[in-house]
This record gives sequence, C-alpha cells and structure tokens, in this order.
Amino acid sequence: MKMKAKLVFWIGLAVLAAIVIYHLNWDLVRALEFSTVWEYREVMVWALGMSLMIALIATAIGLVVGTLLAIVSQSSLPILRWIVVIYVEIFRNTPILVMLIWVHFALPILTGFTTTAFQSGLIAMGLQSSAYFSEIVRAGIGAVPRGQWEAALALGLPLRPRWTEIVLPQALRIIIPPLANLAISLFKATSILSILSISELMTVSTRISNFTFKPIEVLTVAACMYCIVGYLMSRGTLRLERHLREGER
Amino acid sequence: MTVIISTVSLGFGVIIGLIACLGKLMERGIEYQLATNFIDFFRTIPEMVLIFWVYSCLPLLFDLRLSAETCGILALSLYSGAFLAEIFRAGILAVPREQIEGALALGLPKIPVWRFVILPQAIRRMMPAFVNFLTELIKASSLLSAIGITELVYQASTLGAQTFRYVEFLSAIALLYFLIILPFSLYSRRSEMVLVRRTGQ
Repeated sequence: MKMKAKLVFWIGLAVLAAIVIYHLNWDLVRALEFSTVWEYREVMVWALGMSLMIALIATAIGLVVGTLLAIVSQSSLPILRWIVVIYVEIFRNTPILVMLIWVHFALPILTGFTTTAFQSGLIAMGLQSSAYFSEIVRAGIGAVPRGQWEAALALGLPLRPRWTEIVLPQALRIIIPPLANLAISLFKATSILSILSISELMTVSTRISNFTFKPIEVLTVAACMYCIVGYLMSRGTLRLERHLREGER
Repeated sequence: MTVIISTVSLGFGVIIGLIACLGKLMERGIEYQLATNFIDFFRTIPEMVLIFWVYSCLPLLFDLRLSAETCGILALSLYSGAFLAEIFRAGILAVPREQIEGALALGLPKIPVWRFVILPQAIRRMMPAFVNFLTELIKASSLLSAIGITELVYQASTLGAQTFRYVEFLSAIALLYFLIILPFSLYSRRSEMVLVRRTGQ
C-alpha cells in the first residue's frame, strides 16, 4: 500500500516536472534580474509595514467589536441575539471584495459621507473581522465551564465583573490560537485592498512592476514576502499554542 | 460564471489536495517534505497575490497564451488544493486508531480497511470543514474580477458604471453572494453540531 501510494505520488510529480521543464521559456528565465527589485527595497518594506499595520488595526477593531457582539449574543433578549446572528451571517457570507466595493462606492451615495480609500478599506475589514471574531469569542465563552458562571452568580457578583473578571479572561485564553489564525488571514486579506489602491504591498508591487516592466521579479518577491511573514506568524501561533497547552498542565 | 469557476477549481483542487495529502501522510521522507512545503506555501500566500502572479507571470515564463479564465482556475485550484489537503488529512487522522487496528486485527486486507473503515468515518468528519472551505472558495472567486473575468463582481461594477446605479447593483451582488453561501454555511453549522453530539468531542 505504502509502496503503491509512493509510486502514484512520484509519477504525478514527475509528469508535472516534465511539463514544467519542457514548456519553460528558458531565455526569459536566464534574463531575470532581481537587482531591479533590490533598488525598490525600501518602498517594498514600507509597503509591507503598511499591510501589517492595516491588518493590526483590523484585528483590533474586530477584537473589540467582536467581543461586544459575543457578549450581546449571550443576552436573554431574543431580539438582540437575532440582530447579532444576522450581522454575523451577513458579513461572514459575503466576500470581502464585495463589501469593500460596497463601502467605497455605495455607502457614500447612501449616507453622503465620502470616505478615503484607506478608510473604506478599514471599515470593510473591520466589519468582516468583527463578524468572524464574534463567532470565535462566542465559542470561547461557550467553552468556559458552566460551574464558573454559577459560582460567579452564587457569589452575587454584578454583571460587569462577572464578565471582565471571570468569563472573558478564561475565554480569551482558550481562543488565542484561533484568534492568531484569524489575524493571519486578515494579513492575507490586506492584499485585496489593492483594488482601491491603498499603498500596501500588493498595490505598490503592481505599481513597481508596471513601471519597470518586470512583473515576474517584482511579483515573485512580493509573493515571497507575504509568504515569509505569514509563515513566521503561523510558526509563532504554533509556539504560542504549545506554550498555552503546557501552562494548563 | 462564478459557479462554473468555483466548481472547476474545486474539482482540480480535490485532485491536487489528494496528492498532497497522500504525500503528507507519509510522515517522513522527501514526499512529506515536498507536500508540506507545497501546502505551507500556498496556504500562506494571499489569494490575490497568487491570482496576479499566475495571471501576469506564468504566461511570460512558459511563453503561453492563457485566457484570464484559465489563469483564474489555475490559481484557485492551487489555493484550494493546499487547503483541501489539510482538511483531508485532518479528517483521516481524526479516525480513532483503535478502529484501524481493530480492522487490521480482524484480518481485513488494507484496501477494504481504507474503503470500509477509514474513509467513511473520515469523510463524515471532514464534511463541515469541507463545506466551510467551499464558502471560502466562492468568496475567493470574487477576487477574479481583478484580472477581468466577467464574474459577479466584475459584471456588477461595469453595469453600475454604465447606469450610474452603483447602490442597486452592488447591494444586489452582495445579497446574491449571501444567498449562494448561506445554505452552505447553515449546513456546516448544523453538521458540526450533529458531529459534536455524535462523537462527544
């Protein structure tokens, strides 16, 4: 079985490699010049910083709004619970691109406020991330043992400390790994903001590649930058997860 | 168009995912390394960057003339292949070890073990994640408007620009996406609950 699986794997790989090698335009590969990208290194690193900053702000907005939504979703009023469910379903089930275009082009017509591309990007990402975060926080709150709630109630703790002292700290510890994963996908989603040409990494690299006529070099480097940062972030998450699990024992 | 592209890339994605999953299940050796690197790379690279890379670099590199649709499908297939490989693997690994050992101890040959013991349970376990990914894929297909494929978003923004009725068209596609994705999302929510109840995890 293992031999057969290995064989299938290698045959697939060999066919793929043969196709790639046969069709590759070797003249072009030899003419690749990565030095042009090096000239723009500062701009690209700044753009990467911009991407990270947008992701960070979106994470912060999402965390705050999402936690509030999750608290509201535990309320005893059915109307409030329904509002949260509808909000979450709407923003989880529409692509961020559609939201982005909607916020940027349709919202100003409806409300009369014009937003800059940067603002609409943040609004759209904040809406989306708060919906996702509220689901995660809700799951975390659900995972806090029932006994903790009952003990807090039995001790006569008022509403505020019941949440801030008992439930949320425990819930947050449980949900740190999924939160970190979501932050990584928000970082990936910042590339979508290039549609509105906010000067983050994707926009800047497309601009450079149009300017220098070297799309392959610039885009490959940009892809690698995203990949490396994303990889480091996910490595960090794994580390954190392991650390938390050890702390529990 | 959105539906066609999503379906075709899902099909290719399943094939790529199965191969990569096979490699990753080896647990060591060159196959494992290759599959892991492939999966990690395509999972960490943003979809948008992948789409642009395939669209503007691949035709140059291979001296091919690819239509935007082909590029879009290729990019989404790679993207879904990497994600599906992990979903498949998680499903297969979630099958309790005793089940496999029990089947082997009963003297079942390897292929029936896969066919009747591992796969049915693995598929049931991976269904919620799979459907969840399907919604992600449909959402990612909206990004293809950036390379000029006439799917929902592209169509709506061109029509909006022609008729100056942005609000109507954009709200309409937002609603349309919502309606396409909602059944999947409800299904995955339900089946997750059923699974939790049944396996007690």
